[in-house]
Amino acid sequence: MQQRDTDQTQRSTMSRRPFLAATSASVAGLAGLAGCLGDDDAPPLTDSDPGESGVDSGGVRWDDLGNLEGEISIYCGRDRDQIDDVFEALEDEYDDLSVSVDYDDNDVHVNQIIEEGDATAADLMYSQDPGALGELEREGVVQALPDDIVEGVPESYRDPDGYWTGVTGRVRAIQYNTERLDETEFDGPEDFPDDIMEFATDERFQGIISTRPNSGTFRGFIQAMVELEGEDDTREWVRGMMEDQDAQLFTSGGDQAAAVEQGGDDDPIIALGNSYYAARLISEDPDSPIDVAFTENDAGCLFSVAGVAATNAVSDPDLVAEFVRHLIAEEGQELMMEQNGEYPVVEDVDYVDELPDLDEINPPEFDLSDFDMDMQGARDIIEDEGMEV
Amino acid sequence: MKSLTNYLDAPRSLEELSKRLGVTDRSMAALVLLSAVVAFLVISPMFWLLWRAITVEPSRAIDLIFSSRTAGTTINSIALMGLVTVFSIGLGVPLAILTTRTDLPNPRFWTVVAALPLVIPSYIGAIAFTGMFGSGGQVDTLFGTTIPNLDGLPGAIFIITLYTYPYVFLTTRAALLSMDSSIVDAARTLNAGPLEAFRRVTLPQIRPGIAAGALLAGLYAISDFGTPAFMGASVFTSRIYWEFNNFAVEYAALLALQLIAIVAIVLVIEAGIGRDEDATGGPSNGSVIRLGRWKWLAIGFISSLGVLTLVIPVAIFTNWLFRSQGDPISSLEFEWVYAFNSVHLALIAAFVACLFALPVAYYSGRTNSLLSRILERATYIGFAVPGVVIGLALVFLGTRTLPSFYRQGIWLLVFAYVVRFLPQAVGTVRSSVLQVDAKTIEAARTLNASRLEAFRRITLPLIMPGVVAGGVLVFLTTMKELPVTLMLRPVGMETLVSIIWGAQADLAYRYAAFPSLLLILISGFSMLILLRQEGSDLN
Repeated sequence: MQQRDTDQTQRSTMSRRPFLAATSASVAGLAGLAGCLGDDDAPPLTDSDPGESGVDSGGVRWDDLGNLEGEISIYCGRDRDQIDDVFEALEDEYDDLSVSVDYDDNDVHVNQIIEEGDATAADLMYSQDPGALGELEREGVVQALPDDIVEGVPESYRDPDGYWTGVTGRVRAIQYNTERLDETEFDGPEDFPDDIMEFATDERFQGIISTRPNSGTFRGFIQAMVELEGEDDTREWVRGMMEDQDAQLFTSGGDQAAAVEQGGDDDPIIALGNSYYAARLISEDPDSPIDVAFTENDAGCLFSVAGVAATNAVSDPDLVAEFVRHLIAEEGQELMMEQNGEYPVVEDVDYVDELPDLDEINPPEFDLSDFDMDMQGARDIIEDEGMEV
Repeated sequence: MKSLTNYLDAPRSLEELSKRLGVTDRSMAALVLLSAVVAFLVISPMFWLLWRAITVEPSRAIDLIFSSRTAGTTINSIALMGLVTVFSIGLGVPLAILTTRTDLPNPRFWTVVAALPLVIPSYIGAIAFTGMFGSGGQVDTLFGTTIPNLDGLPGAIFIITLYTYPYVFLTTRAALLSMDSSIVDAARTLNAGPLEAFRRVTLPQIRPGIAAGALLAGLYAISDFGTPAFMGASVFTSRIYWEFNNFAVEYAALLALQLIAIVAIVLVIEAGIGRDEDATGGPSNGSVIRLGRWKWLAIGFISSLGVLTLVIPVAIFTNWLFRSQGDPISSLEFEWVYAFNSVHLALIAAFVACLFALPVAYYSGRTNSLLSRILERATYIGFAVPGVVIGLALVFLGTRTLPSFYRQGIWLLVFAYVVRFLPQAVGTVRSSVLQVDAKTIEAARTLNASRLEAFRRITLPLIMPGVVAGGVLVFLTTMKELPVTLMLRPVGMETLVSIIWGAQADLAYRYAAFPSLLLILISGFSMLILLRQEGSDLN
């Protein structure tokens, strides 16, 4: 037995060497292959000149722009129905364009790109949250956009160095069930406080209010509150929502809005979230008993953007740059307004939809790029005060 | 009983015999090596976890591990796993006995009813249930009342049990079908009451079967994300997801390691319960239990379970199908290629999982050494780790090892499925290896068949039912797997679940209806294959 085992060992040692050699050869081969296929040699996006005209002059139409030809892949943290029409419209417009979109949770995508590094399969990250795009920039996995794009978008809606740009705007709102207000002590939406801080202290909200704490926009909302009211008051607000108001927590903005609409005994009557969730339910069913109201000039009606960043792995810089130009050109902006009730980020494009215009809402003045997107800070506040799902 | 025990110990005595004959040889060494390679591959994603967890600041790590919240999460998770396991046994074992050992009419039909919930993803069950019974749901609207609130930890336990007990049902049933029930009759003639005969004769024989199913149910429960998240139960999976989503991948990794530690303990405990005492097959033509008027109670029990788990979700999806039309969302529009992608991926995953399972299961079924048990148990780890963690680990490993192939094809995705679902194949293949009478192989060997030939001509045909059963289980679970599919499929490739998920995220339920029904239909058919094949095995 002993002897046999020794033979065994020797035999396998001998055969292991060719195996190792073969493995390293194939690894080297693959590395070489990676080198050929890889995108290390692709010039940076900033070197990519507009195909036709740039978008810095504002109000540029698709006809003014260059052709889109080739394949582009996008990690999309936005919901499919919000964004797909734009991609479809572009594919219809350009016969040789193919857009592959991977729809998933925004934060999953961001973490994924960070893990993937330069080997990411995505050319573009399309995110609902400037904080997440800022995180990509800090991790060094995205690259600067060409000058004309950067100059085409007002500074408050993009990264100052052009590492990401907003494409459309959205606003936080108070969603409520129109039929159930008589169960509450509120006579109507005009009776709601103008100040988001009161939502955590006004006893009339006790047991009927909800929010969704695990989203990028909620973090942005908390960051805005810290900027405007200070950290202590923000902590108190979160604590008040949990301990005094007994706020119901949701993991999905869609589920939250659906619960408000559904209106069962245990469902929230009031919900804090993005206005478009309610807008979408109304577009599915015009008789839906859900509507929105807004606070005044505070974090409760924070105006934020959804936007894009180009990864380091971009294989065709001209295509990607031109694609982004199309998003912020007039037709791109209009499509997203009509589809989602979102707001344009480009000057010279007029707002057209049924939601109140930004002038009517009066959101706080925030330079989103200047906004200290300290993810960890907001996260700690939310977590420390026990608001988690 | 003593002689019986000796009989059951055949493999071990064979091993001793073969040792005496000096045939512990190269093929055995190759088998060990192959098993080790498989085990290594399957646990390789966990190295990423270790690596990420190490980078957590030690003080913060200690805070996190010993915080009261972590304690709460741990208690909740253990309660979830433990109670789902207990309830699954409570449902699965009686159902298995009812469909195999009694004069229940149409046993085949009721078997299908009892097994079918496994094809429905539990998160879809959860959604259907809240839609039906939750506040504002159908029952609420119709009768103005809600069933006692279905949420939080109890809700998650309830739902997960309903959709995982078939693991116990199927494995127990298989054990019951393959045990020699004439022994029970022998016990009965020796004046043992039916309960005593069950406890002393049947139970010891089917215990490994029950344990195997219970393990799968428990591990599924602790790794399920969708249901606890939907029900608002704070368990490891939702906590890990929360940390992960807040860009705290390191903390998520640390929590995942804690989860793995718990699972490791469970695996060790289960290894103690599920000892290999069932190493015999035999004709199961012992007498059946006459139900008499209990028959109606039994039928009522199974059919109400069927209504709960199957009729309600299917009715809800059908209802979605006719829901009011909003703006059309063209990217959610059903295309047959989604179904093709799902089936294609699931078939490949099933095939690869069987291939991987064979050496591990064969080795661990044939020998009862510590090494064989460790290698077998190692393959269970991936099943218990939340899909999002496995997904992220493979994102990391995939991009670092073979960047050019990363998300360019389906290989990494298939590997992820194998990591997640291999134990289902290992479990069933191993059970069937245990059932192979070692004397048959011995006989073939004395007739000068080489070891490989004996395996090919004797063992493989005998364990084929187990291999197919394992393959079908992997197929079923791959069809409904969500997080890994979302993370690792080639960009732009859609499957049934990715479309269902997309439709749900958009609240466009009507688009989820058809793919959901199709998913149930396809998986339902494969379940029929599983049961049919078990039947032919019986003849």
